[in-house]
Amino acid sequence: MIDRRSLLTIAGAGAVGLAAAQVGHAVNSEPPVQPPQDAVGLLYDTTLCVGCKACVAACSRANNLIPASGQSGGLYQEPVALDAHTKNIIKLYKSSDGRQWSFMKQQCMHCVDPACVLACPLSALEKGEFGIVSWKGETCLGCRCCQIACPYNIPKFEWSQLNPRVVKCEMCRQKLARNEAPACTAVCPRKAVIFGKRTALLTEAKSRIAANPGRYYQDRVYGEHEGGGTQSLYLSHLPFAMLGLPDLGTRSIASGVRNVQETIYQHGVTPVVAYSALVVLTGHFWKDLRHHAEDEADWTGLKEQI
Amino acid sequence: MNKCWRRMLAVSSPVLTPAFWLMAGIAGLGLVLCLWREVAGLAAATAMNDGYSWGMFKNFNVTTLTALGSGGYALGVLTYVLNRRKYHTLMRTALLTSILAYTVGMIALATDIGRPWNILHMADPFVWNPHSILFEVALCMSAYVMIALDFENLAPLLERLEEEPFPQVVRELAGYAKRFVKAIYPYGVALALALPTMHQSSLGSLMLVAGPRVHPLWQTPLLPLLYVMMAWVLGIAFVEAAVMASCAVWKRPLDMTIVESLTSLVSWSAIFWLAVRLGDLYGRGQIAAALKMDFYSRLFLVELALIAIPTLLLRIRSVRMDAARSFVALAVLMTGGMLYRYTPTTLAFQPGAGYRYFPSVTELLISLGFIALAVVGYLFTVKRFAILPATLEMSIRGAVPGQKEKQAA
Repeated sequence: MIDRRSLLTIAGAGAVGLAAAQVGHAVNSEPPVQPPQDAVGLLYDTTLCVGCKACVAACSRANNLIPASGQSGGLYQEPVALDAHTKNIIKLYKSSDGRQWSFMKQQCMHCVDPACVLACPLSALEKGEFGIVSWKGETCLGCRCCQIACPYNIPKFEWSQLNPRVVKCEMCRQKLARNEAPACTAVCPRKAVIFGKRTALLTEAKSRIAANPGRYYQDRVYGEHEGGGTQSLYLSHLPFAMLGLPDLGTRSIASGVRNVQETIYQHGVTPVVAYSALVVLTGHFWKDLRHHAEDEADWTGLKEQI
Repeated sequence: MNKCWRRMLAVSSPVLTPAFWLMAGIAGLGLVLCLWREVAGLAAATAMNDGYSWGMFKNFNVTTLTALGSGGYALGVLTYVLNRRKYHTLMRTALLTSILAYTVGMIALATDIGRPWNILHMADPFVWNPHSILFEVALCMSAYVMIALDFENLAPLLERLEEEPFPQVVRELAGYAKRFVKAIYPYGVALALALPTMHQSSLGSLMLVAGPRVHPLWQTPLLPLLYVMMAWVLGIAFVEAAVMASCAVWKRPLDMTIVESLTSLVSWSAIFWLAVRLGDLYGRGQIAAALKMDFYSRLFLVELALIAIPTLLLRIRSVRMDAARSFVALAVLMTGGMLYRYTPTTLAFQPGAGYRYFPSVTELLISLGFIALAVVGYLFTVKRFAILPATLEMSIRGAVPGQKEKQAA
């Protein structure tokens, strides 16, 4: 059944798995992607938000989205989650005993090194001016790689349309072009979400933390480093995980994927070397195979089969 | 009777059997529903949603079933690179299963995407995103289906065109073409081996980009390695299963020497796969999670049992020599392997609370239709072309004009 030599080989294969698992985690020499110079962003503070949802309605208006008003019979807007006509939403988190609660604003995080942009086959998603992640329809295949890739579950797809679009917050770039602030920040009565340069927002967030010791979870700004950094930043009095912000570590997902692919492909050298080696080996044995087939054809009187 | 496979020979029985019509019916229904999906949209035809954005088409018909269609790749490596000449008689069966599995996979991919007309932009290098795994998969798979596999599958077609009743000019042209194919064969074969190595591993990398949304029992930087190794195991196992079933149905002798040695190879490959899989789990400190007995741990243990038990049983020579028993063991192993390939894409994919996915009836029928279409292609091709392995005796009998029909009658 299994002799000693085979056992050693199996152990070797196991060691490959073990070692590769370690190496894959430890070695990632790629320098982290830096936010662009002109990066803008949003800063949302859970301690200021009163959940009025003015930003939700303003977003729909500014982006010509049909308000989701199915449950209210068309009286007012009440989307339950981000969807193909909701780019921005306020949700309420409540713990099971009801003692801990918080509002939470969801929209695109505009990652510094976005996974959706990495995943998109024909560059329909791109990180452009102001570091805004935006979608252009001309080359989009509708493959939904962006939806699989986004750790925040942001991009939405028009499932019922014949020419479906990918819908996500683009930080009101049409308004930015007119020197106006994004709709959600412009209408917020409590300045719970503010717009600005990413560096300025980080300074503001840190001064709020310094001025209010103990108010914010871990005295941390979510998005400064999380998942390689984001341009939408969060201050929260509750653990970020409760608000649906995943613990991603400081490396971006995109950087991890590039690292694995680079290890395998070595700038495209591997496929070329592999192909050449395969040509040499198959070419060598092909002659053997042909001679053998020709011999058999002679001997049997049947046609040679390749 | 001598059961030694030496050549390839067409099955001499009629193509249009009840089984053929049944399969054609299922395939036809699937294709009609496929057209309906293009008109009605993805929401009407499938259960896919903003959480589970990929459904049966991509995750089952492409990611899972092209692994079964990797026989042309795995047996190609054995025959042409490792010079295991004895497997040559199985090459055509392997290449046929590959081209069929991949062709229907590509149709599934085209059905799945929401804006299919934009495929034209694949021809525009300026919009290519070389970092995108799906881009690489799409490019390598198209090249494999549209160039490499067609090239490899040319031989039986050209042989057929060389025979009566085709006119003299066709026969001569086929003869030239065959000579050309023979001359450049190693270059084509090498391409047909390099491309699947890339896209079968990339099908694993595809889920890397989902990061923490794939449960840590499956999410690992080794996904590409584990996926390509599993493609190798499943590819060989499926060719074996297809040949064993074909020989049983069309009353052909089974060359147990070849079958047994391939089965042995499958089980060895699966043992290596298991070693890498478990080594990786240990290396990432996931053994405790594997034994936690929650949903994911149970799923993992089912997968492990479906792969490990038949693999170990197939280490016993008497099991391998028994066609029926090894067929069952291979079928169980294939189920486990397919489960492994499918799980990270759907079962262990965690898009967040509030999302649920179970394929809709239409989606299932379309998916089944693609499989039936491949079966139709198989039934037709093995009866019209010299694909399935046969003994020398049968081939000599089959080569005498008029004998084939008599034998069938």
